[in-house]
Amino acid sequence: MNISQFMTQEHRMCDTTFAEAEQAVANGDWEAAEKAFLQFSNETLTHFKREEDELFPVFESHTGSTEGPTQVMRYEHEQVKGLIGKMAEAIESQEKDTYLSLCESMMILLQQHNMKEEQMLYAMCERLLPPELKDETLEKMKQVEL
Amino acid sequence: MFDQNGLSLDQAPPISVVLRFFLSGALFGIVAGLLILVFNTAIFDPAAIEAVILTHTLTLGVMLSFMFAALFQMLPVIAGVKLTAPVRKANMLQYPFILGVIVLLFAFYSGKVLLFTIASFLLGGAILSITVTMLRELLKLPNHSSSSKGMSIALIALGILTILALYMTGTLGGIFEGMHYLQVKQAHFTFGLFGWIALLIISISFQVIEMFYVTPSYPTLMHKHLPLSLLILIGTGTLLSPIIADVWSFVTPLLALLMVLYALITLKRLTQRKRPITDATVLLWRIGTGLLIASMLLMLSADYSGYTILAKLSYLSFAGFAISIVFAMFYKIVPFLTWFHLSSQGYFTAPMMHEVIHPKTAMRHFYIHSATLLVLALSLFFSPLIYLGGFLTLLSFGWILWQIIHAWRLYLHTQRTGEKFEMNIPTT
Ligand SMILES: [Fe+2]
Ligand SMILES: [Fe+2]
Repeated sequence: MNISQFMTQEHRMCDTTFAEAEQAVANGDWEAAEKAFLQFSNETLTHFKREEDELFPVFESHTGSTEGPTQVMRYEHEQVKGLIGKMAEAIESQEKDTYLSLCESMMILLQQHNMKEEQMLYAMCERLLPPELKDETLEKMKQVEL
Repeated sequence: MFDQNGLSLDQAPPISVVLRFFLSGALFGIVAGLLILVFNTAIFDPAAIEAVILTHTLTLGVMLSFMFAALFQMLPVIAGVKLTAPVRKANMLQYPFILGVIVLLFAFYSGKVLLFTIASFLLGGAILSITVTMLRELLKLPNHSSSSKGMSIALIALGILTILALYMTGTLGGIFEGMHYLQVKQAHFTFGLFGWIALLIISISFQVIEMFYVTPSYPTLMHKHLPLSLLILIGTGTLLSPIIADVWSFVTPLLALLMVLYALITLKRLTQRKRPITDATVLLWRIGTGLLIASMLLMLSADYSGYTILAKLSYLSFAGFAISIVFAMFYKIVPFLTWFHLSSQGYFTAPMMHEVIHPKTAMRHFYIHSATLLVLALSLFFSPLIYLGGFLTLLSFGWILWQIIHAWRLYLHTQRTGEKFEMNIPTT
């Protein structure tokens, strides 16, 4: 499995747990919702950390640019983290409408972000980085913990 | 703030650029409702000028406005195209465009050569220049997705169909002799419905269905090859039509088959979505793609049987398809953009998506929209219903208009009164 496949698969995993939490909230099952949401936020934050601590720096040093796509990606991560915080509050106070509305924003934001990574950033990494560096970066990313 | 870094530009154009095109689309929709009330069932008679006027109100005034809104929004966000000075570009497109549509409608009504000439300059200039600008930026992209490729092909079709339209208005204005006029008219029509409207919707859906509803992606064969296949089919039909008289009777069934396949896969994807909640936009996509299938089957059976009522129902279903999909896009794009722009500007009090347009408001509109289509279809059998159909069309687009005004006012209100914090961009 290469970087692109591994990271893309993580995106899909996050989508699945996100949908579980959304379904649970829609059903009014707050206990299940909290569990699924916690898993979603852990998966997402770990994924972001893999990117920010390992993948982006490699990309940046290889392309010699810290202002290009990775800066936009980091900024979008901050937006997503902001929404995760608000969603956690909504779960805490069991506000169904608020939570579901935040879900809408989150999904558009996150999917848009993921598509940009999958179609541009990961694709560029696969093309530009030398094979050994790719293997090494993938291994390092797998070690990342929150 | 990030504006100075051009960061927010990378993500989305100013909200006013998108809202203004939705606004003109809604206003032309209201014009369409009024025209239905005035013209009555003459709108269904393909030989009548009333039908031509209403068709152009809907395709140019409503659909093209909505599609420009979608393009201005999607090109930077989804395709990664950088449109510089979007506000200026939007102004330079929109004013001549609106004026051009109005002049064209009067030209059809009066048959005056001068009006056709003015409309040609306004619409031809506005549409061709934005088409060239957008295409040029799209061609610069180093990485193409199926969506960005499809959008490019749809824009090529828009360019061709505009040039064909200019040939027709030029003929009516006495500039050209009008060789092959009927073939050009057929090609204009086919490029318009299949090459532009359907193809743009298809290309956008390759990304938004997956993105909004979290579904598996479309089959690779389809998203890689469908857009170009459509363009080649329509192009071949057009080029051969002066030589082989009945070329469309081979091409049209093929086009219809591809449309039905696309629609069936979209319906399947909508059942495979991971997000469980069925909101108005899911229903709009379902009814829209369902109507696309209906329209294609009706068209083929009309060609086969010669019953004109089937052809009329086919046109109506096609209009229903296109309008349902743009409404579905509208109900995602407008609330998201309002929230997104305000929260990116750092407002704590940025309204959430359901505060901009509540899901129940969208659902009510879905019922109005469905009733509109149903009543218009029934008016083919019981003509007095056309008045109700016209009224419902007014209500439907009035509903959209009100949502736009509401979102815009909420946006300005938040900017005026909202608390804001200075966010620092995280850099390494
Ligand atoms: Fe990311
Ligand atoms: Fe990612």
